[in-house]
Amino acid sequence: MYAKRVAIGALLWLGCQTGSGAGQTPRARSERAPTEETVEVKLCDDRTTTTVPKDMPPTRENGQRVADSLMSQWKREHPNQAWEMKVTQSHPTIPPPADNRKVLEGAQRTDQTYALFTERDVLTWERETLKLVQEGARVFHDAEAMEGTIGVSCDMCHPDAANTHPETYPKFQTQLGRVVLLRDMINWCLEHPVKAPRMEPDDPRMRALEAYIIAQRKGVTLEYGKH
Amino acid sequence: MRQVARCWPRVLLGALMTLSPLTLGGPAMGQGGPAARGMHGATPFEQQLAMLDAFGLDKRPLQQAPRGVDAVVWAASIPADNALTPERVALGRRLFFEPRLSADGTVACATCHDVTKGFTDHRPVSEGIKDQLGRRNAPTALNAAMLTSQFLDGRSPTLENQARLPIINPIEMGMPDEASAVKALAGDAEYQRLFQRAYGRAVNFDDIARAIAAFERTLMLLESPFDRYLAGEKNAISAEAEKGWVLYNGKARCQTCHPFNLSNPLGSDGRFHNVGVSARHQKFEELATKALELLEKDASIHALDRLALETDMSELGRFMVTRNPTDIGGFRTLQIRNIGVTPPYMHDGSMQTLWDVMDHYNKGGEPNPYLDGGMEPLALSEEEINQVVAFLFTLTDARYAEENQRQMERQQEIARKKRPFRDEAMAFGRRLAFEPVKKEPRP
Repeated sequence: MYAKRVAIGALLWLGCQTGSGAGQTPRARSERAPTEETVEVKLCDDRTTTTVPKDMPPTRENGQRVADSLMSQWKREHPNQAWEMKVTQSHPTIPPPADNRKVLEGAQRTDQTYALFTERDVLTWERETLKLVQEGARVFHDAEAMEGTIGVSCDMCHPDAANTHPETYPKFQTQLGRVVLLRDMINWCLEHPVKAPRMEPDDPRMRALEAYIIAQRKGVTLEYGKH
Repeated sequence: MRQVARCWPRVLLGALMTLSPLTLGGPAMGQGGPAARGMHGATPFEQQLAMLDAFGLDKRPLQQAPRGVDAVVWAASIPADNALTPERVALGRRLFFEPRLSADGTVACATCHDVTKGFTDHRPVSEGIKDQLGRRNAPTALNAAMLTSQFLDGRSPTLENQARLPIINPIEMGMPDEASAVKALAGDAEYQRLFQRAYGRAVNFDDIARAIAAFERTLMLLESPFDRYLAGEKNAISAEAEKGWVLYNGKARCQTCHPFNLSNPLGSDGRFHNVGVSARHQKFEELATKALELLEKDASIHALDRLALETDMSELGRFMVTRNPTDIGGFRTLQIRNIGVTPPYMHDGSMQTLWDVMDHYNKGGEPNPYLDGGMEPLALSEEEINQVVAFLFTLTDARYAEENQRQMERQQEIARKKRPFRDEAMAFGRRLAFEPVKKEPRP
């Protein structure tokens, strides 16, 4: 039996430029060679790997250790890539949804009931939107909620959803060989670093994850197709 | 608040048809049988209070939002001058069941908002002092705290404001004025004590209304099989009801005006829509002309209250409040919570079953120049109608589970015999609204 290989990808597809020719570069050295008792976990650069014992409890602490091991290797090889810190600092918490109180100002249309809004309407929009985003934040930080098997959750590579750039989708992803949506990349990350089953596009957790990731990029210009 | 009336025999017949099957249904909670009927057909208040006690609503911490309600939105719906306290709720509860607030001592809030009947009266229109009938169907007081306006035409902005009006309406509780209502209670030592404890003042009309509103804010019943289903208990509702929920959000288009979410868990958009119910029996133009003349002289909330309850102008709905032509025949979307136990339906209580309601919407409502733009034929099959109705019966709070089951069986029985609003030619677009009705052979 060969050890299962898992790509840890979340964070780095972004970092990994699609034409980077990963295959030509020598592999980063694993800290341990895979054996029958271990699982190999691979970063999304398709090179950086680490191994974990098959019987490792999938706790948050262990998951963080796996992610840190991969990330520290990657950082050693990419000393100038401080992108995650920058993005984290610019979005430390969930930004509030758009303030829609302006629809209550001035003369509202009175010629049809659907265009008349109340304070309650505006409060409802705000609360319900925020709650979906908050649910997304919960799932994002919870390997168990994603049915992950090695304790890795999204935030371990994407703190505060850093470097997920939802504003660049749809775009051609070379590792998938086609144009993809954000949810396709989330599924890619679920299968590889998180080691969880894929989610249906309308899975409530998928909808929440998308909501959270997009909310974290509030104010950023949409630029689909950008690499 | 009450709603529509026409003539005695018809209403009486309606009330009997509504109530008698309940009587046959069994002894539970005391609704129905002549022996159990109190004044104006209400269940005796001791029985109502016993049922209310069994609900355990007083066990809920008043400072927390009710289960199923967003805490921020809940807090925003309570006025600053009427924070919920146990003393205010206790006073309000007493006032809710206080017939001395009516001119002849026979009517209290609980007469038409009867605990045993889902806080309605199960009659097409309600009965006040001297057996007078109004023009509109009593909406449930349950969950009314979360509505964005009160009365079916939204003429009142808050619960506090709403509670004032029936007391002095001549055909409801009939007090000649607010001072008379205060006088009826002010001599009572127990009330003097309760008002002091609740508001730190002597008995006064503003605090009567505030206390009733505070009590009503405890009447939040949002724990239904459907809520358990949403929380992940897949077997909480039947497979049929589950299909009904999909239709509710899709083909049947219910969600557009009856939205559900934690911030607004009642299934009402709080907006006013002409769905054509009143178009069945009124000429809007004549009524509106007459109404404009009258409102020119007096458009106070008391004038509106009387016109809505005592005249044909009731059917103009929201127009009476805004005098905006697009509001003619418009009524606020009714909440859909506990719908199974609050028949009959629509602002005038003109539909006895949820099948009738579905038939009405399926054919795109009743054509009229002011019909809401969202109304159109739905082309729901009989199976699909059954699925939506099955879903609607899952929205009843668990505390009314028995009554819900009884209502479902009763309505099923009625619907098997007659479906007066069914029009498949309209529903499936075989006939358009402006075409004359052709006799279709009925299967």
